[in-house]
Amino acid sequence: VSERSYETAIARVEEIIRRLDSGEAGLRETLELVKEGRELVEYCATELEAVGRGLEELRLDELVARLEAGVREER
Amino acid sequence: MAEPDSTAAEGIAGSTFPGPYPVGVYAAQLKRRLLDFARVQIVGEVWGLRHSHARVYFELRDSRGALPCSMWLSDFEALGVMLTDGVRVVVGGGCDYYPGSAASSPSFTFAVSELRIAGEGDLLVQLERLRRQLHAEGLFDPQKRLARPLLPRTIGVVTGERGKARDDVLAGLRRRGWEGRLVWAFAPVQDRHAAPRIAAALRELAALQEVEVVIVARGGGSLADLFAFCDEGLCRTVALLRVPVISSVGHHTDRTLIDDVAAVACSTPTHAAEAAVRIDCRAARADLTASARRLEVHGRRTILARARTLAQLSRAPAAHVARHRRHLHQLVRELRASARRGVSAGQELAGVHMLVLGRKASVAALERERNATVLQARAAALRRVSDATSGKRARDLERLRLALAARDPERTLERGYALVQDAAGEPLTSAADARDARDLAIRFHDGFVPARVSDPEAES
Repeated sequence: VSERSYETAIARVEEIIRRLDSGEAGLRETLELVKEGRELVEYCATELEAVGRGLEELRLDELVARLEAGVREER
Repeated sequence: MAEPDSTAAEGIAGSTFPGPYPVGVYAAQLKRRLLDFARVQIVGEVWGLRHSHARVYFELRDSRGALPCSMWLSDFEALGVMLTDGVRVVVGGGCDYYPGSAASSPSFTFAVSELRIAGEGDLLVQLERLRRQLHAEGLFDPQKRLARPLLPRTIGVVTGERGKARDDVLAGLRRRGWEGRLVWAFAPVQDRHAAPRIAAALRELAALQEVEVVIVARGGGSLADLFAFCDEGLCRTVALLRVPVISSVGHHTDRTLIDDVAAVACSTPTHAAEAAVRIDCRAARADLTASARRLEVHGRRTILARARTLAQLSRAPAAHVARHRRHLHQLVRELRASARRGVSAGQELAGVHMLVLGRKASVAALERERNATVLQARAAALRRVSDATSGKRARDLERLRLALAARDPERTLERGYALVQDAAGEPLTSAADARDARDLAIRFHDGFVPARVSDPEAES
């Protein structure tokens, strides 16, 4: 799960839907697949949301300065 | 020039030019004259390079003119240089003319006997040598093996601050509907300080954990302009970077070394941006919404379908149990009534005997004892009958209790069935009932789950 990426999540969602569409899944499997699918959709939605809130442009030097300031504050 | 051939056609009437001479004679004269031209060195760019079985042909070009050149293949191969179109060379030689014949075309050519690569040509030779070296070291591969995210949240871009490439990258990202975090690392992109600055920017971007992919972009230019992107140090940096680098340097005809070591080489900065975000975010959102809907439909449909099946299944054991329960209750009632009857009948009988005995007591005192004995015997027999009846009934009761337990709905629930009940706790045995009830309680073996029919018309 730590290696989860948008790509793998979307691929798994598609696989789950194919399995559900096949009608071969039993009750328990269906409910488990729906649960897993919901979690993955939620993850994907979060990822899409992260790139849908308006472009944020930063200059590398500004970002580095900001990060360094953050590190100093932590100390 | 030789005398005009007497067999030739007559000249043009009124012409003041000598002749007509046979063309072969004139062509031979021309060849001799051209061979007298001074042998020189000429500089220009190679174009249209081609080989025949004996000669190499190319043109030398510059902005003001061009010259067809040829060289013996054996001389050319002896030089050991790699020529490609656009390479700037210095050639040494002189004019030559092939006079042709009745069966072959004439041609003019600058016959090259010496050749060296010059200017940018020298750069190309260096570049080619470096390209082979990096390739041999396997440095073209590591970037290609890196996993490229389909949808990065943060993208780094190395480019000139005032270049057109910057706008092109933004246009490409806009086209994808991507609005994540963009980290600009501006660097000079063409002077001799460029390569180390670009390499440093790349290292700094890669050091930021959040940067998932880096675009290196620069518009077109001459090979000398783009040479910063062929720098050995820069190319080695790119090859060993932890994040994938997407290069877009120069136009599609140019191929710099960074294009070889990068994960992906694109022809324009716009394409590079599209290669960094490989999906259309708007379409992805629509697809995801559709996927979520399908999951919900499957979830709902399955629960409803299973509820119907369960209702049917649960009706059968429920009816069975109810029948047995009724039967059992009847038996218990009969047993109780029968036991009561047995006891009261015994008491009645004993009372009569006692009365008779009492009456007869005064008359036949001697018989009293015998009668009492008879009475006791009868009472004992009566008790035995009563006890035996009770015992049999009790055994029947236990047998039925076990049968009932075996069909207990709780056991059924433990096996994975669920019972759907309405708010009042009455079992619902049809989808229609469930829809009417709206508020449901799904009873599992370990407890209840409240449920609500979201849209009673949905499955009707």
